[in-house]
Amino acid sequence: MNSSQLIAFLPVICIAAAAVVVMLTIAVRRHFTLTCLMAGLGLLVSLLALAMAGRQGPVQVTPLIRVDAYGRFVMALLLAAGLAVIAFCYDYFKNREGENEELLFLILAALLGASVLVTSCHFATFFIGLETLSVSLFVLVGYVLGQSGSLEAAVKYLVLSGVSSAFLLMGMALIYAQCGQLNFSGIEQYLASQELFNGMVLTGIVFIVAGVGFKLSLVPFHLWTPDVYEGAPAPVTAFIATVSKGAVFILLLRFFLSSGGYFYGPALTVFSVMAVASILVGNVLALLQNNVKRMLAYSSIAHMGYLLIAFIAGGRIAPNLVVESVTFYLVAYFMTTLGAFGVVSILSTPQAEAVALSFYHGLFWRRPGLAAIFTFMLLSLAGIPLTAGFIGKFYIFAAGADGRLWGLLLMLIIGSGLGLYYYLRLIVVMSMSQETGIDAGHEAAFGRVSSVILAVLTVLLVWFGIYPGYLMSLIQGLY
Amino acid sequence: MIEWLWLAPLFPLLGFLILILAGDKLSGPAVAWVGVGSVGLSAILAALVGTAFLSGDQVPYRLVLGSWMVVGDLSLPFGFYLDALSVTMLFVVTGVGFLIHVYSADFMADDAGYARFFAYMNLFVSAMLVLVLADNLAMLYLGWEGVGLGSYLLIGFWYEDPNNGYAARKVFVMTRVGDTSLALGLFLLFTQLHTLDIQAVLRASSQWQAGTWLPVAASALLLGGAVGKSAQLPLQTWLPDAMAGPTPVSALIHAATMVTAGVYLIARTHTLFTLAPAVQFAVALVGTVTLLIAGCSALVQTDIKRILAYSTISQIGYMFLALGVGAWSAAIFHLLTHAFFKALLFLAAGAVIFCFHHEHDIFRMGGLRKAMPVAFWSFVIGSAALAALPLTSGYYSKHDILLATFDASPGLWAAGCLGALITGIYSFRLVFVVFFGPERPGVERAIGWRMGLPLLVLCGLALLGGLLRIPLDSVFPVAVEAHRGFDAVSGITLAAPVAGLAIAALFYLTGTFSVRRLVSSGWGRGIQNYWFSGWGLDSLYNALLIRPFKAIAGFNKDDVVDAGYTAIAKLSLGLHYLTSASQTGRLRGYAAAMGFGAVLIIAVGLLS
Repeated sequence: MNSSQLIAFLPVICIAAAAVVVMLTIAVRRHFTLTCLMAGLGLLVSLLALAMAGRQGPVQVTPLIRVDAYGRFVMALLLAAGLAVIAFCYDYFKNREGENEELLFLILAALLGASVLVTSCHFATFFIGLETLSVSLFVLVGYVLGQSGSLEAAVKYLVLSGVSSAFLLMGMALIYAQCGQLNFSGIEQYLASQELFNGMVLTGIVFIVAGVGFKLSLVPFHLWTPDVYEGAPAPVTAFIATVSKGAVFILLLRFFLSSGGYFYGPALTVFSVMAVASILVGNVLALLQNNVKRMLAYSSIAHMGYLLIAFIAGGRIAPNLVVESVTFYLVAYFMTTLGAFGVVSILSTPQAEAVALSFYHGLFWRRPGLAAIFTFMLLSLAGIPLTAGFIGKFYIFAAGADGRLWGLLLMLIIGSGLGLYYYLRLIVVMSMSQETGIDAGHEAAFGRVSSVILAVLTVLLVWFGIYPGYLMSLIQGLY
Repeated sequence: MIEWLWLAPLFPLLGFLILILAGDKLSGPAVAWVGVGSVGLSAILAALVGTAFLSGDQVPYRLVLGSWMVVGDLSLPFGFYLDALSVTMLFVVTGVGFLIHVYSADFMADDAGYARFFAYMNLFVSAMLVLVLADNLAMLYLGWEGVGLGSYLLIGFWYEDPNNGYAARKVFVMTRVGDTSLALGLFLLFTQLHTLDIQAVLRASSQWQAGTWLPVAASALLLGGAVGKSAQLPLQTWLPDAMAGPTPVSALIHAATMVTAGVYLIARTHTLFTLAPAVQFAVALVGTVTLLIAGCSALVQTDIKRILAYSTISQIGYMFLALGVGAWSAAIFHLLTHAFFKALLFLAAGAVIFCFHHEHDIFRMGGLRKAMPVAFWSFVIGSAALAALPLTSGYYSKHDILLATFDASPGLWAAGCLGALITGIYSFRLVFVVFFGPERPGVERAIGWRMGLPLLVLCGLALLGGLLRIPLDSVFPVAVEAHRGFDAVSGITLAAPVAGLAIAALFYLTGTFSVRRLVSSGWGRGIQNYWFSGWGLDSLYNALLIRPFKAIAGFNKDDVVDAGYTAIAKLSLGLHYLTSASQTGRLRGYAAAMGFGAVLIIAVGLLS
């Protein structure tokens, strides 16, 4: 490994080192705050290493990993999200019984997997990264064993994730059987040399789509989403919704861009069907949902559907445009989802997760700041102007219009209309007079660290909503 | 001094903000200090600015505070414009407005909504000041709509009674008809001239050929706005209903502010009207017809405030008549004197109502001149001025109008004189019925100094206001005033109100003639009822507009278009329940669904 490779790979090494250091620290002394600080510090060092690499060109680190500017950006995004989740975890777990220190190790391990995922250029790292991420998540989901539904969620996630990994491996095997290659660029070379569509390769791709579709909770692989979102502790839910989904989506995009998956029109048809179904089913399921976490779970299904539209447009428009719209949307989605689950996690107490609407009744009068933040997040999810969510949705729309995907755009419009209903419903509940509610969640602590993160997220959300130019130009130079 | 002009609308606006935001927390006296004080400061400022302006060389003064909006080639500043016309209006609005506020401090003292009342009054005055000081038509429109909002809030002030809410809505909707016309006029002027600055509009429009469609259409649309706000035919029916508000509100709306807005608008854009002789004649005609029918209606009313309301419509009719015949200065002069004596009459009527256990029917009053000397003398002076008896303020202004009218059209002059006769009758009918005859007991309380003082001041102004003629030659073209001596025309003009007074005396004071005998015949009663209902215009509009509209609305009560949306909502709900059924929470089901899903998408992939 030469020096440029070392610099390129240093961030990943940092995360791994941080995970080890955290584990050793726990062995020496159990101290939750200290462990959180260590983990946060580890992520900061890793971010620093990313910044050090700066605008270094693409570097191949072993045949398995390829670090480029885009990978670094996404990694930074994942690490930043990880930092926010650690902050939420700190406030969420600091007053809870039990030994919560290992949580941080698991988060770091999951981030390690996610970082490998987004820099992967080979089926091996594809699979190893995904499994590192997933195995950490199984434990994270079931971390609070005493909580109702926690273990159930973990088991569901474990079993279904196993099924999806099987699909994934099967797809990889099929493609390897045909191409004799595990390397993305090798697959592309093989496919480019063929004149006709190859049924085996197509089947392999669709198998991979099925496996990835599970992680992204795309219809028809979405059924686990609400149960796991509900059962996991709120900060972990935030982690699954952002880091896990974001990393897998970026991997999918890179796989398709570098292995020539876009040649395969039928694969895009499959995606179109899944996008339409996800938008429709996700939004429709969320309509009357009174459990906030489940509602956000359903809404995340729809959001992945929206994101697929930009992805599908890649069959017709230039790759850099696809990357630009997907990335902007993902950044907005990260901020919004982290913010929303951050609010849920602040309001949760050791006795109960803040999922029932009664926790939010009259929130505007009890915790005006928190309610305002949640309102911004919901408005951004709904794609209301002056929030980053609007710009993101605009990007999707622009990409879809460029690719002349009129049917999908129609679904986007219908989905946004449906979405308004349940987002605004929650805002209305928050602004209702306090007397009408049951007044649950009065005893929720203030959550100082989380509040700071939430405030930063809200400012960024509005800032990028009003002046998206900075973020746009940052993303434009990446691919 | 003049550069502080912008403070004039700002003080009441601040008063409004303070009272609406913190009114509940302030004590009664504090509310009065803020509410009355803000207009008081404005009045002082107006006096200083006005005297500074009038003692100078009266060059119009423009004050631009900043940019309001810039869109394309439309650029609107926050600009104020001061000339002799706006100074006159400034004096009226702040001066008379201040007196009414002082009076209200007592009149409304027992009301639960004391702070809310003064907040609305302040907002109203502020909007009116923006209207008269605006240097562009959009600012004028801002004030115009602000006045409409203020009137709505004030007339519906006692909103617990649904009738008052209805009256407020009626006022709002009726004036809105005129507002729409005004807005269209603004749009027309802007599309043609690419500016809304009033002086620029007037300069640019003077290039137009007189009598062509452009000036005719523009001035006709402006006239539409003016008749709405000034309660002229055919949009005058709102004004009697506006009596639903507290009496000081009636004084403010009918004397100092709202109803004069239309007169001001026409005077402000008079060059446009001179380019459209037909429309200008229409102004005169509208004024004449309105003054006659409103005067007749006033003859038969029994509610003390409704009599005054109809008299207001009638007097504004005189102003329109003056505008129509080109007697611009006379119209504004009458606006000024009318503000004095009509405010006086309303406040005096308020005092009567206040002291006489909230009675409105004049025939249940009587002989009150001893019990309520201040109100009595106020009414005598106010009615004299209203009837334009010689040496009162109303005499000077109305005499000017009628003489100018004779030079333009003897027919209109005759109608105006008939109107003056009627005015004399109904104003002194009120005085004789309420204050003479056998005394009826029932005076409960006396008025305080805060109600008495404004009455005294206004008595003085109603008597001597004729001396306050503010020179308007710098604004309007100088009328060639043929100084006529004493001839038949001015004699008849002079005699008409006196004759009216005499007739009223014969009917109601001495009892020589009896109204009862007049209306005993069938047609007499018919006319009485017809006039009483304001010439049946309300029922006419009801039959022509309201009922058909309600019928159409009722026809489509379950909106046809709505059915589509309801269907979408139903469909979404159905889908929701359908898909919810799939969320069983059972792991085996989920795993099986994944398997089926994989088969499905492979099929889609291979078959497409």
